[in-house]
Amino acid sequence: MTVDFLLMKSLVDKDLKVRYKRSVLGFLWFLLKPLFSMVVYTIVFTKIIRFGGAIEHFSLFLLTGLLPWNFFGASLSASTKTLLDNQKLIRSIYFPRVALPISAVIANAVHMLMAMGVLEILLVAFGHTPGLSLLLLPVAVVFLAAMTSGFAMMISVGNVYYRDVSQFLEVILLAWFYASPVIYPLGAGLVPERMEAVIRFNPVAGVLEVFHSTMYYGTWPELWAWVSMTVWTAVILAAGLTIFRRMEPSVVKEL
Amino acid sequence: MTVEKGLVQFSDVCLDYRLYRDRSVSIMETILNVFGRKTSRDWFRALDHASFQISPGESVALVGANGAGKSTTLKLLAGIYSPSEGVVRTSGRIASLLDLGVGFHPELTGAENIFLNGALLGFDQKKMRELLPGIAEFSMLERFMDTPVKYYSSGMFMRLGFALATSVNPDILLIDEVLAVGDSAFQAKCYDRIFGFRESGKTIVFVSHDPEAVRRLCTRAVWLDSGRVRMDGPVDDVLGSYLDANAGRLQNTASAAAPREWGNREVFFSRVTLTDGSGIPRRTFRQGDTVKVNTVIETREGRSVDNIILGFSIHRPDGETVLASNNLENGEPLLTVNGTGEAVIEITPEIIEPGNYLLSISLTGNSTDYHWQDYFYPISLLGERKTPPLRMSSLKVAETSTES
Repeated sequence: MTVDFLLMKSLVDKDLKVRYKRSVLGFLWFLLKPLFSMVVYTIVFTKIIRFGGAIEHFSLFLLTGLLPWNFFGASLSASTKTLLDNQKLIRSIYFPRVALPISAVIANAVHMLMAMGVLEILLVAFGHTPGLSLLLLPVAVVFLAAMTSGFAMMISVGNVYYRDVSQFLEVILLAWFYASPVIYPLGAGLVPERMEAVIRFNPVAGVLEVFHSTMYYGTWPELWAWVSMTVWTAVILAAGLTIFRRMEPSVVKEL
Repeated sequence: MTVEKGLVQFSDVCLDYRLYRDRSVSIMETILNVFGRKTSRDWFRALDHASFQISPGESVALVGANGAGKSTTLKLLAGIYSPSEGVVRTSGRIASLLDLGVGFHPELTGAENIFLNGALLGFDQKKMRELLPGIAEFSMLERFMDTPVKYYSSGMFMRLGFALATSVNPDILLIDEVLAVGDSAFQAKCYDRIFGFRESGKTIVFVSHDPEAVRRLCTRAVWLDSGRVRMDGPVDDVLGSYLDANAGRLQNTASAAAPREWGNREVFFSRVTLTDGSGIPRRTFRQGDTVKVNTVIETREGRSVDNIILGFSIHRPDGETVLASNNLENGEPLLTVNGTGEAVIEITPEIIEPGNYLLSISLTGNSTDYHWQDYFYPISLLGERKTPPLRMSSLKVAETSTES
């Protein structure tokens, strides 16, 4: 177990070291990317579509949703490649291969956490003083990372068999983004009631609500958000692990 | 219950691969399959109820044609594949020299890659920090440890891979034809290390197409044929039968470099020994050494035959000829044999690169083939190396004989 942890740490280290080679701004990109998308969405939804106007500091609200969402999307995209990119390695030494999708997720989580640190400072600067509920944020991060890992395991295996998975994922992520409470709040009357009921069944809706309420609103998340987050995480992580374990022997031969 | 380290058990193992006509199946195809239009999916049984057991400290070669299941067996032993049926059990740490340096990331430095690979092998940073100087020294890359490995030459890459894989003090060493690492000096160093493992009682499983390398390293051989164990026993017996069987099979596919013997044998080689310039029998030569092929030639029923052409050729393991000549071409007198005669071919293969080669010799007449021994004598040529690693195996023999 300790060795698996070490392996994971080394793979994450590698990922972080390699990602910003030959990049002038390097590590700063972890902040710049969400900031750019924040600017775009702010302009679109306050100047063009005028929908975010109802929310105070809409940009900050956006960021509290965009950071976890970007983490989620980036991790899943990365997971399509983890097994394929390491096929030579997988075929020449034995190691717990599940470490590959998980480490891809963790590397992205590191970025998210750093960006969240900066975001929290911004929030405080704009008067969103954190409440006690902020203590729940780490819990939410762990749940989100676990759920993302579950998806990542399934996707990494799926993409070995069907390269269509990575293409499909792009399309799905686009739809999923708008079907999740990333850029709009739930329960604020901005979304038609019927739609909202459907959206609450979205696996990431709960966890995103937890991010919004703990970081942006400084309130305790609603019960449904907790239930959604824990149940979905448990289900998806278990499914991911089971599928990965089951498929691992044939995946190695398939690569 | 503790199992002795270095034990390998392979019981009734099967391994199936799926065969595709085209590798990436699309979702469309799957949907069509669901609706009953099955695209053909074949299974290929790479190993078919194969069983063997290796005791700690044994050096065993896996021999067999391409596709016989040798590499699959190694991958099963390394834990990379899990068997479709049967049980594979190994005890102790395994080092696999299957594909050197594949875990290296080009952007990371030599040292960073060592730590990453160590983690993949299950070693923590502290342990790797201890091993690092040794790895750097063995691979002769001390000055390049902080250089990204993408700037390494392929030889440096392999050297680092070999040094790393063997630095972890394994109980079982799996070797898949990787000994063509770097230049000849480094190759000899690799051999020394491998022989060192053998001397210290590690289990070795070796896959090679080079019969001489197999003989040198291993005491026992397992012959795999279409995924089954066809023969298992002392290396000379198994290798002999395997090479014999191949000689027959390869008659019509002459391109492959399996030893074969043919001709009408009116004149034939009755004894052939390879020695160095001073008459000491050898199969391993240094560059610049003289390779002496001492032949005893006989004629059938003691008749007298003249105008015999004695020829030789040296081939790479894949059968490609690198050097060939005969007495006619060289402007030397043709041979006359009256009953029994002796002839010596002296070859000084200075221009040939170090490596493993196969020597063919022939007796021919004017449009008659008396006796050909194609690809019959494996020889190794070493580079700057002074002590051929052959020494190591004789050391082992000496040790066992004093014990008994």
